[in-house]
Amino acid sequence: MNSVDFPASVIRLENGLTLIHQEIAATPVVVADVWVRAGAIAEPAEWAGMAHFLEHMIFKGTDQLPPGVFDYAIETQGGMTNAATSHDYAHFYITIAADMLPQTLPYLADLLLHAAIPVDEFGRERQVVLEEILQAQDDPDWLGYQAMSELVYQDHPYGRPVLGTADILQQRSPEEMRCFHQAHYQPDQMTVVITGGIPLEPTVELVKHAFRGFAPPPPCPPAAIARVPLLPGVRREVLHLPRLEQSRLTMAWIGPGIGQLETAYGLDLLAAILAEGRSSRLVRELREDRQLVQDIGAGFSLQRECSLFTIQAWLEGDAVDRVEAIVCDRLSELAAKPISEAELARAQRLLCNDYAFSTEAPGQLAGLYGYYGTIADAERCLSYVPTLQSYTGDRLRSLANQYLTPLRYVSTILHPA
Amino acid sequence: MTASLLQAPRLHRTVLANGLTVLVLENPVADIVSARLFIRAGSTFEAPHQAGLVSFLMGLLTKGTDTLSSMAIAEAVESVGASLGTDAAADYSVISLKTVSADFAEIFALAATVLRQPNFPPDEIDLERKLTLQQIRSMQEQPFTVAFNQLRRDMYGEHPYALPGIGTEATISAITQQDLVTFHRQHMRPDNVVVTIVGRIAPEAALAHVEKSLGDWMASATPLPSLNLPPVTAAPTCSVVTQDTNQAIVMVGYPAASVKHPAYPALKLINTYLGNGLSSRLFVELREKRGLAYDVSAFYPTRLGPSQFVAYIGTAPENAATALDGLRFEVERLQTTVLTDEELQSAKNKLLGQYALGKQTNAQIAQILGWYEILGLGVEYDQQFQDMVAAVTVLDAEAVAQEFFHSPYISLLGPEEFVAPVAAAQS
Repeated sequence: MNSVDFPASVIRLENGLTLIHQEIAATPVVVADVWVRAGAIAEPAEWAGMAHFLEHMIFKGTDQLPPGVFDYAIETQGGMTNAATSHDYAHFYITIAADMLPQTLPYLADLLLHAAIPVDEFGRERQVVLEEILQAQDDPDWLGYQAMSELVYQDHPYGRPVLGTADILQQRSPEEMRCFHQAHYQPDQMTVVITGGIPLEPTVELVKHAFRGFAPPPPCPPAAIARVPLLPGVRREVLHLPRLEQSRLTMAWIGPGIGQLETAYGLDLLAAILAEGRSSRLVRELREDRQLVQDIGAGFSLQRECSLFTIQAWLEGDAVDRVEAIVCDRLSELAAKPISEAELARAQRLLCNDYAFSTEAPGQLAGLYGYYGTIADAERCLSYVPTLQSYTGDRLRSLANQYLTPLRYVSTILHPA
Repeated sequence: MTASLLQAPRLHRTVLANGLTVLVLENPVADIVSARLFIRAGSTFEAPHQAGLVSFLMGLLTKGTDTLSSMAIAEAVESVGASLGTDAAADYSVISLKTVSADFAEIFALAATVLRQPNFPPDEIDLERKLTLQQIRSMQEQPFTVAFNQLRRDMYGEHPYALPGIGTEATISAITQQDLVTFHRQHMRPDNVVVTIVGRIAPEAALAHVEKSLGDWMASATPLPSLNLPPVTAAPTCSVVTQDTNQAIVMVGYPAASVKHPAYPALKLINTYLGNGLSSRLFVELREKRGLAYDVSAFYPTRLGPSQFVAYIGTAPENAATALDGLRFEVERLQTTVLTDEELQSAKNKLLGQYALGKQTNAQIAQILGWYEILGLGVEYDQQFQDMVAAVTVLDAEAVAQEFFHSPYISLLGPEEFVAPVAAAQS
């Protein structure tokens, strides 16, 4: 695969922890973003929701650090902190004035390595997560996404909601969470990304010093292992939801994971050709010309074990079947007819510029490196732009033929109840 | 970190002969240029029967000019991987663009054309109307939005701040091409526009692009339209939307100060203290200590006219009464409880630190520069705001709480059996 010089340093510490650093001159800000390979995919099925709940509990302190002290310390120094969990990862980040990093990074490391998970805090924070689930259940797009995921992934953990369920969370204990934490928050599962106004040398010392003294991993129930399923044909599900004002049609295809990055990037190009911007094929035809949809978009998301390609439309209920048929037709066309040079160039420029636009601030850069560092290798993100530029219309056409077939996909339809 | 970008010597401010203001800040770090074209006309300039007109008009700017079709505009932008968008706010409207530096001249010229010469094609008006009406209906799907729209209507009555910027089904259905042409002619003129350009571009080059595209645009001799808004009178109410949601939304709104009012910096600080971040008072008291919510916060929008101070929570329906008491207690407590020096200092550090973090990208800088200029505060306000925040005392905060945090407007949303009794207890 083509590549260019990687502007960041990637250092493997003796304990197995990966450090990625990039100094950005002339910025007074530093971002520290710690990625852990302990997302929902690491959970046994009967512990669904544990990874996300743990992300909440990390902030509840250690033996040295009472709950709330970390948040207070970061925010009263003018910084920001937060965290997020998905299937492939959990990550925790702070954005702060560069000269404050030496005082604050050790706190973050202490939380991540030595989370106490106190019993009373566990009970209270579970209420917060249950509220988060209630809130999600009032969001029709969240419900639609979960239904689509289950249909696509079947028993694979990518099909489970990251939030878990109220039933399962009620049965979990602080002991189980400590076990999950200590088993997975280990140096070989962790990538620390530091970007912004701090040179390499002090960063290495700082990280080495803060991220040491990991507890030995205890035995822990293993993650459910399941293969990403092959779609046997067309799977269709129709849901009727209350308070819905407009129908949705989501069509989904499974693509390759990080094992075939080059192919995955090609699917990203196909998404742009089909439905990114008003001059893309589907937006132009279905929204601007034939006015069959309120909006239509294509999404491509890269995950470790497989990627997901989706086409989603917001439309009147009686247009759903027709739009689905047209989309299938256009996909057949995409695989059969040559893609013009201009159309290819347009998609390439859109994505290459998006990439440039999304690496402007230190936090964006840290997120990109951490994500790739967790699901693949950080350096791999550098092949993105050259790979896009090397694609030809013919190669894209054969990708469409192989992956975006109207014979095998999932379709989830939401209608007003 | 709290240093002012805007007073750096790199900032160039120019007023062209036709009255158009240009602000340029060269920032060579990334190969990106962001620009904004602000117009001093937001939804406050809409007549009541034309609510949503500005938002509708801004959406149509990129849908056709005297020489370009809607699709030709989209192709010009997308073929170079740029972005060109429009937005309408209560106090201003804006065209935004972002390009790699090599494409800036071309896309800026296009933005200037859509600002000056939109032709509002009838078929594009029809499509925009159809999409907008559906968008208005879709707002009903989000409980937070429904509760907030209700609160806003109650608080503002006849004032244009009462309505969401998108308008209503009735007003959008009635908008005509002539309405658009008239509003455009009245408000879109060079002495009512501020252009900001930030990124990898020399100030002389940036200014030359503006001169070339907008320098020959003549302002009309008629005076600019002036605002004549109905007063907002406080008469707190409690309103309910009953819906079978999984969570209840509880919202309290206190009439609050405009950006030009002396209480503005103290209210921003109180908003930070109560509602901003994981260490904020509402988050710690109602979420961390009591587990009542996932989402609990406060916001205080910056407005030229009378603003509002809103605190809200999403909670299990059976907790609605407890949550309402909790929200009110935490806000109104500040009338009688003076913040400690440490609490005040923490809130200042947090507000000023996050303010600085909000100026990291070229687009963020272009937005804040032009926003202050278009609101009539001037670019100096970037530093003045920080100085005023730093100068707020605990007694100022208490006085402001006493002035503004009386009985609130209340908006409730949730299953009837849970929210109706809470509302009944208010009357």
